[in-house]
Amino acid sequence: MSEQHPSLFSRTLTRRRLLRGTALTGVAAFLAACGTAAQSVVQSAAPSVAPSEAGSAGPPSAAASPSAAASPTPVPSPAAELNFANWPLYIDQDTSNPPKSPTLDGFTKKFGTKVNYRESINANEDFFGTIRPALQAGQDTGWDLVVLTDWMAAKVIGLGWAETIDTANTPQFVANEADNLRNQSWDPDNNKRAPWQSGMTGLGFDAKVVGEQTSLAALWQADPRWKGKVWLLNEMRDTIGLTLLKLGKDPAAATNADCDAAIAEIKKAVDGGVVRSFLGNDYKEGLIKGDLVLGTAWSGDVIQAQLEKASLKFNIPSEGGMIWTDNMLIPKGAAHKYTAELMIDYVYDPVIAAQIAAYVQYVSPVKGSKEAIAKNADPAVAALAKNALMFPDAATLGRTHIFKALSADEDKYFNDQFSTLQGN
Amino acid sequence: MTALLRRYKSIVPYLLLTPGLIWLAIFYVYPSVQMFISSFWSGSLEGGFTFSLSNIHNYTDGLSRYQDQIIRSVFFAAAATVATFLISFPLAYTIAFRAGHYKNLLLFLVIAPFFTSFLLRVISWRTILGDDGLLLGPLKSAGLVGDDFRILATPVAVISGIAYNFLPFMTLPIYVSLEKIDKRLLEAGQDLYASPWGAFRKITFPLALPGIFAGTLLTFIPAMGDYVNAELLGQTPATKMIGNVVQSRFLVNNDYPTAAALSFILMAGILVAVAVYARLLGTEELMSSAG
Repeated sequence: MSEQHPSLFSRTLTRRRLLRGTALTGVAAFLAACGTAAQSVVQSAAPSVAPSEAGSAGPPSAAASPSAAASPTPVPSPAAELNFANWPLYIDQDTSNPPKSPTLDGFTKKFGTKVNYRESINANEDFFGTIRPALQAGQDTGWDLVVLTDWMAAKVIGLGWAETIDTANTPQFVANEADNLRNQSWDPDNNKRAPWQSGMTGLGFDAKVVGEQTSLAALWQADPRWKGKVWLLNEMRDTIGLTLLKLGKDPAAATNADCDAAIAEIKKAVDGGVVRSFLGNDYKEGLIKGDLVLGTAWSGDVIQAQLEKASLKFNIPSEGGMIWTDNMLIPKGAAHKYTAELMIDYVYDPVIAAQIAAYVQYVSPVKGSKEAIAKNADPAVAALAKNALMFPDAATLGRTHIFKALSADEDKYFNDQFSTLQGN
Repeated sequence: MTALLRRYKSIVPYLLLTPGLIWLAIFYVYPSVQMFISSFWSGSLEGGFTFSLSNIHNYTDGLSRYQDQIIRSVFFAAAATVATFLISFPLAYTIAFRAGHYKNLLLFLVIAPFFTSFLLRVISWRTILGDDGLLLGPLKSAGLVGDDFRILATPVAVISGIAYNFLPFMTLPIYVSLEKIDKRLLEAGQDLYASPWGAFRKITFPLALPGIFAGTLLTFIPAMGDYVNAELLGQTPATKMIGNVVQSRFLVNNDYPTAAALSFILMAGILVAVAVYARLLGTEELMSSAG
């Protein structure tokens, strides 16, 4: 196993550095999101469009295959290819040759499998729209591995649309999965999904303008330092979840009545002119420019934005923060299930997990990844092991909450109320 | 080939129309029918949708639930159209009558921004109009506006954004109709003791009406359905337009029936508005005589 990571961490490009250099990525992502979204509406019956986008996404595997052909390792019969859908900028990349990923290349080298890795997921709902018709019809979606946030993963598993992972093939996943992520109510046997990365939602702010903020109550105060410069995330689970925590309620047990209470509470801040906007990823831009100074944010985003504005800070609120996890799932009927299991096992190797975490800077679900990062030769990378937002301790994790797995009716109700609150 | 064409001369116009008709059928008629059908659906993405004529309440529900956004869209689009007209007319007039050698250069400058992506232009306005940006930064340090004054996330930002983005659609048609005016008519008017203002009012402006009519439609109709400006410059619940609602119903809430019904309400509303406008302005004859 060890022969696979000779050049680990020799590439110094991290996700942050890449983002810093490509301010326009957001625009591209926006356009891509529009494109994908339109596709899912107009032509939702054609999930096979995704693989055909191969050319534009820049397959890492095309360049990697020659070395694979040279030394195929004799293992139980991994398939010739693996179709892997993930979110943008969510895996390590090679500096000199950006679309290439050391992790994916390593997999190809080890198993001789060409990985068709596509950054096809920009939003859970949109992506689900593209695979739903095939799943419903009992057909192969064209994907062997997809990454979905826990609530969507729960939905897909609940519908019976996820393959059961044969854990005999994934010993490292069994051994190294973080304890706090095991045995979710929606995956009691721990064999329908494997966490990819986790992240936290809490308070993001410009400490130079608003000082140190630790309470969610600040988002409701018409303080002249931040009135009209506050944003809330347009992700329903993050914003409603944090508001429920402010109200002293548990987001993991939210009812429709709780939803109404949270909506009424947020409305006060909106009508009072404190909250300016509901935003997705683009809050980062406003935060850096100074149009926004305080709001609800994702941990990894703020770490990235600190490079452009050192006074930015992220705190888990005193009332508690939200934690979420994106999970790898094997869609029902996947053509290369065994190979997908090999991939799950592979990324649960702590050394590989450290390689991914050092680049994406979210919370790795793999035990041992912290130690692996700390041993890195580059002191800047090794220092990440002390980053509390990447490797939160038990006390930090104890202050984070998960959102309830909503039923279809609840989901519709919550989303509807939240949309109306945002004016659409 | 020529002989063949001559023999079947009568089918040539149809052959010429075919590509356009196919385009229209695939990208307009088919999606519209599809949308119309889905506006009578009920159900959910997970459970599946079912069609029933009794779901006509999708229309009334949509109308009553989103009347604020519909009224706001009409208001924003109308305000932006007026603003665009007020900027475009003097601009087109100057280019048509006063620009001399610079005419082509000025026309080029009107469309030059179109060489940049629409989204990039809107996003740069976010930088220009920022709370401490190029415009407000100096005004704030000079003490001309209050520290908490802002343009972004207000209706002014959205209306200005729409007006900016549709400027060429108003300017070019007005320019074309002004350019076509026979200068001898103006000379004749002045020979008959018309004041310059009188000549403008009686000759230039009426003859520019077809251009104004076309420009207004080209601005107002897309502005009604616009959602990018409200999404990127407005970004606040109080500036959401009907386009934002349709987008969010479709893509965030997977509420295809309501989204489809709202699209048809918007389409019908615009058709009625345009019909009334054409009636009032009575430019149909002008259009045909000028064209």
